[in-house]
Amino acid sequence: MLYGYGGKVLRVNLTSGTFSVEPLEQELARLYLGGRGFNMRRLYDEIPARLDGLSPENKMFFSVGPLVGTMFPGAARFNVSAKSPQTGILGDSNAGGFFGPELKFAGFDQVIIEGKAPEPVYLYIHNDKIELRDAKHLWGLDVWDTQRVILQELKDRRVQVAAIGTAAENGVRFAGVFANLVRAAARTGMGTVMGAKNLKAIAVRGTNPVRVANPALFAELMKDIDSAVYSHREYPGRALMGTTKLVHALNEAGCLATRHFQTGRFEAAESVSGEFLAETVKKKSKSCFGCVIPCSRFFEVKQGPFAGLKSEGPEFEGLAGFSSRVGVTDLAASLKGVDLCNRYGMDVITTSEVISFAMELYQRGIISQSEADGLDLSWGNTATVLTLIDKINRREGFGDILADGVREAARKIGRGSEEYALHVKGLELFQADPRGLKAYALGYAVASRGGDHLRSEPSFEFSEDAEAGQRMYGHADAAFRLKYKGKGRVVKHYEEWSALSDCLEACKNTIVNMEIIDYPLTAKLLKAVVGWEMSGEEVQAVCERVVNLERVFNTREGLTRENDTLPKRFTHEPLPADSGPSAGSVVELEPMLDEYYQARGWDITTGRPTGSKLRELGLAKEALELKERGLIHD
Amino acid sequence: MFDLRVVVEEVRGFCDLPMRSGDYFEVRGGRIIVPEGKHICLWALSAMLPMFPAKQRKIDEENDWLPSTQHMCCPDPNGMVIYRIDRIADDSSNTQQAVKKVEQERNKPFPRMLVDEKVCTGCRSCELACSFHKKGFFLAEEARVRVMKDEENGLDRPQVCRQCGNARCVQACPEGALERHPETHAIILNAELCVGCAACAEACPFGSIHFKEQQPVICDLCGGDPRCIERCATGALRFGRAGEAALKGGARAVMKGGQ
Repeated sequence: MLYGYGGKVLRVNLTSGTFSVEPLEQELARLYLGGRGFNMRRLYDEIPARLDGLSPENKMFFSVGPLVGTMFPGAARFNVSAKSPQTGILGDSNAGGFFGPELKFAGFDQVIIEGKAPEPVYLYIHNDKIELRDAKHLWGLDVWDTQRVILQELKDRRVQVAAIGTAAENGVRFAGVFANLVRAAARTGMGTVMGAKNLKAIAVRGTNPVRVANPALFAELMKDIDSAVYSHREYPGRALMGTTKLVHALNEAGCLATRHFQTGRFEAAESVSGEFLAETVKKKSKSCFGCVIPCSRFFEVKQGPFAGLKSEGPEFEGLAGFSSRVGVTDLAASLKGVDLCNRYGMDVITTSEVISFAMELYQRGIISQSEADGLDLSWGNTATVLTLIDKINRREGFGDILADGVREAARKIGRGSEEYALHVKGLELFQADPRGLKAYALGYAVASRGGDHLRSEPSFEFSEDAEAGQRMYGHADAAFRLKYKGKGRVVKHYEEWSALSDCLEACKNTIVNMEIIDYPLTAKLLKAVVGWEMSGEEVQAVCERVVNLERVFNTREGLTRENDTLPKRFTHEPLPADSGPSAGSVVELEPMLDEYYQARGWDITTGRPTGSKLRELGLAKEALELKERGLIHD
Repeated sequence: MFDLRVVVEEVRGFCDLPMRSGDYFEVRGGRIIVPEGKHICLWALSAMLPMFPAKQRKIDEENDWLPSTQHMCCPDPNGMVIYRIDRIADDSSNTQQAVKKVEQERNKPFPRMLVDEKVCTGCRSCELACSFHKKGFFLAEEARVRVMKDEENGLDRPQVCRQCGNARCVQACPEGALERHPETHAIILNAELCVGCAACAEACPFGSIHFKEQQPVICDLCGGDPRCIERCATGALRFGRAGEAALKGGARAVMKGGQ
């Protein structure tokens, strides 16, 4: 058995109600590390091309990584992957909290879910005891009630639950898997897949030790990591506000998506900012398992129409999604929007996109009030926003049109609305306007799960360190957010760094944003935890392998360079004059794409991987398959 | 019998009497003596009065909380006037001076685990630090500190031995398997005597005695240098004496804006 790993893979067949436990293959561990890496390997191997995401043949993969369960800060996450019913391509999402570590303590590195249960069930994993339990009484309950009932039923408050809410049951295509009430693996409709499988939740309890190969070395490395964390210049801001600090920061930069990305400055930003939240409703800081960077928060609204609302959260994505994006100026209303999404089990980014999309169509006269069930779709109408969340959850009336995501909604509505559907590959973007953030723009365009910021997070472009830009990415412009040169290499680097984070299942805030570990230090950590003698280059190769395998998967699904694009708004419509330092910007994507494919060693014309690159990364079998399908030629 | 001097150590709230820091009165035998021109608050006096005869007497009982109790608070919730009760000896006698010094040393409370659940993030880093230090691997079930969580209400409660003065667990143990560490004052288990009856866990008012394989696991303060505290980012766990600056631990940054 390998140190650091649980050592087992659980395969559950819901159709037959059977399961098997397989040992973790050591080769898989070394080549893919864990988490997202494990999932991508299985996804490619076990999901046939062009499979419908809602088909019972679709499979779900839940994985953790080698640092999960240790005291490494933020190593608390799990990835859930499947064919996406929302985008039709690779589906993948991850979440923090306490579920991932508990899975590791139960002895599992990966859980594979196959088939479809004849009736609603939930899976209970208690170390080696695996049970499919009746969930008919849970069907129809939201995420919070589901967790409450399961904890009562299993009579153990240390059970960790990952559940779907009502949205997933109702077939909303952007439903997520929610752990610890609010820890959402919400992107690409992974909850929708779970709902289609009649799997209401996974409950897990583990009491096996997580052992590391060299405790003394690990303790020594942790000392350095702790001091790097505590002395980091961002530490105080993260402990106070976490990602909610971005409302103010992006607004200052003129990149805060406002009224559906029509401008980059929100006039009421300071009344919905992370700073304001911390001063008013925040009760205390909260953390994921074993993390000393308490970037989350518990809040309670004491006054006004939403008095009594209390929850952990929100992150920037939800906070800005239900404020600037839809024009809402009341912090409590925004928190209520996030809370509803958490309880129903829906992605806050997609939900706020479809609502702001509808509001823009209304503003432009493309849809009328009567088409929207009589709702007044004016910007900032809190009642409309909250009603629409509810209608989407129930797939009722106008909500039903929005419940398949913005690409589908525009297809159903037609009348030129497609131009206003802001998504890449069927996945909606978060609230950072790419026009003022060129590397982020490129990252959105090429991300393997569609329009997404967490596949790269190329924060280097804020550094304004020209010398470092030249040295690390071949051009001084790489260090400036409004410039283009070098961004292809920046995004390549950050994609791999993000993949490292997702394979270790440690938090990107720590690894990618605060830059706490690099490849050589990761190699040392893996030596201490697993016992491997690895070089920094070998670790990086794992990350590059994962990114390439994802590209292979999507290539097999039929994607090409044409799909690596951005909505027309970002490439043709300059940010208006009130967007401060970003005013007048559009994204000139094509030159950045050329640079990116070049940096990746992929085919510039098609955007597909080359056989030589794949073989270099040990993906010869995959290269051959793409060649046999006529998708690549070398 | 000792005489006592009762000194206002700190005024945390607002006292309109007013009592001021440094004000004092003395208890000599059966009399209360207030210095000329000074006064004593009725609220505070009513709260402290029963304590004086006890504090005047020499007590030498194992586990007694009284010798280490020095501070009392005025019951006026707005006032929060903190009083310190000192024993005073007859200045003319050298022997008594020596006794006083020893008594002061002895009466200083032992440093203990201080828990502030209002700032606990619920991360359970303390559990990991504890099991790693004690066992060399990570497992909450081995930890002597455990965090109980109520996610819906945002409540996080670190359950760890507080080294109570009058430790009920020690009293409850029918086998005499629990005792005080002479230096750290931590509760130490004599595993050979323990029969695993869990009477100690039932007696613990903080729910801080955890069980693993029929044996209690109790915080031993890591011999006086608790390791969990190194991993507590907010100061929810600290080590020291209540009302004094912590010997170890504290918030690494401001965790909440505005006050």
